[in-house]
Amino acid sequence: MPALNADPSSGERARIAGLENVDILVGIPSFNSARTIGHVVRAVEAGLTKYFPGRRSILVNSDGGSSDGTADAVRGASVDFDSVLLEQKSGGFHKLVTPYHGIPGKGSAFRTVFEIARELGVKACAVVDSDLRSITPEWLELLIKPVLEEGHDYVAPFYLRHKYDGTITNTIVYPLTRALYGRRIRQPIGGDFGFSGRLAAAYLEKDVWETDVARFGIDIWMTTTAVAGGFKVCQAFLGAKIHDAKDPGADLSAMLHQVVGSVFDLMEEHAGTWRNVRGSEPVPTFGFAYSVGLEPIQVNLRRMIEKFRIGVRELGPFYGLFLPEDVQGVLADLAARPDRKSFVYPDDAWVRTIFHFALAAHRKLVSREHIIKSLTPLYLGKVASFVIETWDCGAAEVEGRLEELCLSFERDKGYLIERWDGKD
Amino acid sequence: MKNLIDKVVVGPLRNVVGKLESFLPNLLTGLLVFAAGLLIAWLVKLLAIRIVRLLKLDAVFARSGLTDALQKMAVKDTPAKLVGRMFFWLVAVVFSILSLSVMKVPVIDGLLERFLLYLPNVFVALIVLAIGWFLGNFLGRAALIASVNAGVGVAGLLSKGVKTVVLLFAFVMAFDELGIGRNTVVAAFAIVFGGAVLALALAFGLGGRGLARRYLEKRFGKNAENGSDEIRHL
Repeated sequence: MPALNADPSSGERARIAGLENVDILVGIPSFNSARTIGHVVRAVEAGLTKYFPGRRSILVNSDGGSSDGTADAVRGASVDFDSVLLEQKSGGFHKLVTPYHGIPGKGSAFRTVFEIARELGVKACAVVDSDLRSITPEWLELLIKPVLEEGHDYVAPFYLRHKYDGTITNTIVYPLTRALYGRRIRQPIGGDFGFSGRLAAAYLEKDVWETDVARFGIDIWMTTTAVAGGFKVCQAFLGAKIHDAKDPGADLSAMLHQVVGSVFDLMEEHAGTWRNVRGSEPVPTFGFAYSVGLEPIQVNLRRMIEKFRIGVRELGPFYGLFLPEDVQGVLADLAARPDRKSFVYPDDAWVRTIFHFALAAHRKLVSREHIIKSLTPLYLGKVASFVIETWDCGAAEVEGRLEELCLSFERDKGYLIERWDGKD
Repeated sequence: MKNLIDKVVVGPLRNVVGKLESFLPNLLTGLLVFAAGLLIAWLVKLLAIRIVRLLKLDAVFARSGLTDALQKMAVKDTPAKLVGRMFFWLVAVVFSILSLSVMKVPVIDGLLERFLLYLPNVFVALIVLAIGWFLGNFLGRAALIASVNAGVGVAGLLSKGVKTVVLLFAFVMAFDELGIGRNTVVAAFAIVFGGAVLALALAFGLGGRGLARRYLEKRFGKNAENGSDEIRHL
């Protein structure tokens, strides 16, 4: 398996172009991932060998200037084919290690992957994170086959997660994007995706590579662009996602600002699309669903509720600028409850909260960053309420509870549309 | 005797009448310019109010906290009316200067010259105050949100502190621009600001030892009193 070390913007493009009839491209964005990327590269090679033996494929490592030997780890990673009972294919698999250009971030890394995909005219692509510990060769089959054999353009991941894992996704991003665009994609910001060469080319047509999309908003941007653009989307059950903790000290409000800000930005761009959507429909799901025991998660309810109370007390006048009085009343009432068991943030009030934050950002009432960051204490209140409600529930019951939340978003969508168009 | 009366009374009277004759047209012109100025100022005021309302700047001022601040200072006008009033006085002052200049009185000309030379300083001071006001509000709110998100119980106090420091700084700069008590104001600011920082340092160092210890224990201790969250938000 030849490994190219190339800068696609220079003469190496010619070498890339020399690779003809490539069907599959797998992109791995990385930055100082030497410790983990070897496993990902081996899983990709084994997956491509096992499930696509007759196809020519290329692995592209789009790196952000790692200094820990990530490139060497990629080049040096090799599969012990005997141990995985596979026969090595000759000449069908290539590796390309290339630095990306532009604003540092996952989005810029993906842009390089899209460019190479377009240049090679590949039929199907997949992108996977470089810090994955639970990736198996089957992931490649699940992310790529729906594109190659079922004609789908976009494959979103569907992971098994602990009931309190991914709370921004569960309480904001999934219900809101589902209500807006009408497709039930459970993990819209999963991080590992499959997509067609046609969709990769469509992504490149968009002029977003100097914006936040280039930095961190790429996941939700890819999902929303595929759905709003009318591409054929599906999801694939990948099992549990275990990966290195990304900066455990990362500031929650900065995280919210990045993710929720991206969703709000996309609402502006696709207002013409989501305004006409009512309800939602499931998308095809591939893969064999199973359940596994997930490690318990420690939750500090006292601290979350305390932060909610401080937020309601100190930011009350600020919320008054854009939250309606009934929602403010619910917040004040909730903050005053001494009994933890009665701490329930009702779905209806939460839906209105999110809608009014989106409207405030849309109308640019005050600094957009201030608006979104001030959501943090309310979000913690909703998470605390959700934890209290579902403490004794199993995974299926929790999923049912989230379904109720999603339906609340869908039912109230008319309220958002009316106000988006000007009504106060 | 007649010569004396002519010299002492009639002559000076003739002079006064002559000066009055030459000044009266200027006075009348000046008064006319002033009256026209008042009329134009009134029209400009109405126009300014209408523009402010059309642009919905009242809501912007309300959101920036300006309306609240004005009410706290017992200013009952809405910001739209206030802007109209400012424009009225601006035009009225310009026309007053014009009318005085038309009268051609040497003393007034001298005063006018000094006033006109000072006017840019007033404008710069006003701009500095306006920027200070908006920056104070912006940074105060940023501090409020950041400290609330960090779970700081006295977030409101911190926010007000940041806002006050920025406003104080703007006032010092404005007074410096106007040349009012230049050295005194700067020295007073340095003393107050330095004193406040020292007081805070002492307060935290002496009064907050326990708090700092608890924080460090909680942050780095093996047996944290309250378990940390393991929730992955994304």
